[in-house]
Amino acid sequence: MTRHLMPTMAWLAALSLPAAAGAAGTATNYSVDPQQSRLEFAGVQADAEFKGSFRKFGADIEFAPDALANSRFDVMIELKTVDTADKDRDTTIRGSDIFDVAHWPTAHYVTRSITKTAAGYSAVGALTLRGVTKDVPIDFQFTPAAAGAKLEGSAKLKRLDFGAGQGDWKSTEWVADAVKISFSLVLKPKT
Amino acid sequence: MPNQSSPARYGAVAQTFHWIIAALIVTQFVLATLADDLPIGAHKLALLARHKSFGMTVLMLAILRLLWRLKNPPPALPDHMSPLESKLARATHVAFYVLLFAMPLTGWMMSSAKSYSVSWFGWFTWPNLIGKNEAAFEFLRSTHDTLAGVLLTIAILHILAALKHHFWNKDNVLLRMMPFVNSERIKSEKR
Repeated sequence: MTRHLMPTMAWLAALSLPAAAGAAGTATNYSVDPQQSRLEFAGVQADAEFKGSFRKFGADIEFAPDALANSRFDVMIELKTVDTADKDRDTTIRGSDIFDVAHWPTAHYVTRSITKTAAGYSAVGALTLRGVTKDVPIDFQFTPAAAGAKLEGSAKLKRLDFGAGQGDWKSTEWVADAVKISFSLVLKPKT
Repeated sequence: MPNQSSPARYGAVAQTFHWIIAALIVTQFVLATLADDLPIGAHKLALLARHKSFGMTVLMLAILRLLWRLKNPPPALPDHMSPLESKLARATHVAFYVLLFAMPLTGWMMSSAKSYSVSWFGWFTWPNLIGKNEAAFEFLRSTHDTLAGVLLTIAILHILAALKHHFWNKDNVLLRMMPFVNSERIKSEKR
């Protein structure tokens, strides 16, 4: 039965794809307002949550609700600008056992596909951190504003998937593997 | 042994508070000393996480102990003590109670000021008492250290005094805080 269905589904998909793409206009190119945008994370250390952010990151956002096929995020994060409100912790995170910013100064995230969901949108993209590239899905909302738009969303990842935790930090007993990411970007159309 | 304290001896509840808190304080000194010698890392984090959980346990027990003490006054000091000795004994005990609160509270504030929230054995996280503040952290750390020194000093004084009462004055001051000692013996030892 599956065999019979497969060609039919492929054919349906072939029909519907151009229809969706056909309705699509072009995605708008945005840049991020660094003053008003936030890229934050939350980890668990010694059983208690701690929050951090990256003070410096850049993003090229191409997005339009009616042009998802042409929409794309490209985010570059300067890892040494990590700020967890404690210099000891920041130094440790920048160090060779966690981010190792001396060898890998940036993290890079590029989306591959963006789809509409009930709550907003969902993107599949690849995050490169410490030389390891892995898919990290994100959920986000896009709110058009007078002079651009607002992009807010979240993601979850496991730090050890990227080797962000060597030596003693490989253990998840005192620093959890799971890290929550959240972002709030103020977008301005590129001129 | 009755739960309530009697004129002759401390009751089971007061004794339990005394010995559990005493054991926790010894543990606290050991954990703090071990952690102090370690460089920043997972091992130090683990020791300090335990130190904080035990410290918050002391704080909770101190509240309960004080409430119990207000309802169940301790047995009176022996008649042979001079007014100066009695005053010194009272002052030591008041200092202990002040420290039972001051040690955990300064520790808790220290953690808050450094934005390392305090968990209680991973069961829940205590709210931060103050915001991130480097200067406050340094001040609180030296206060916590100084108070630890005071606590150690009066603990030694306390132990020496108890031994002096037992072996020199041969009164019931040590025995009335001892579990597993026959009440008849305590009465016969009373002078």
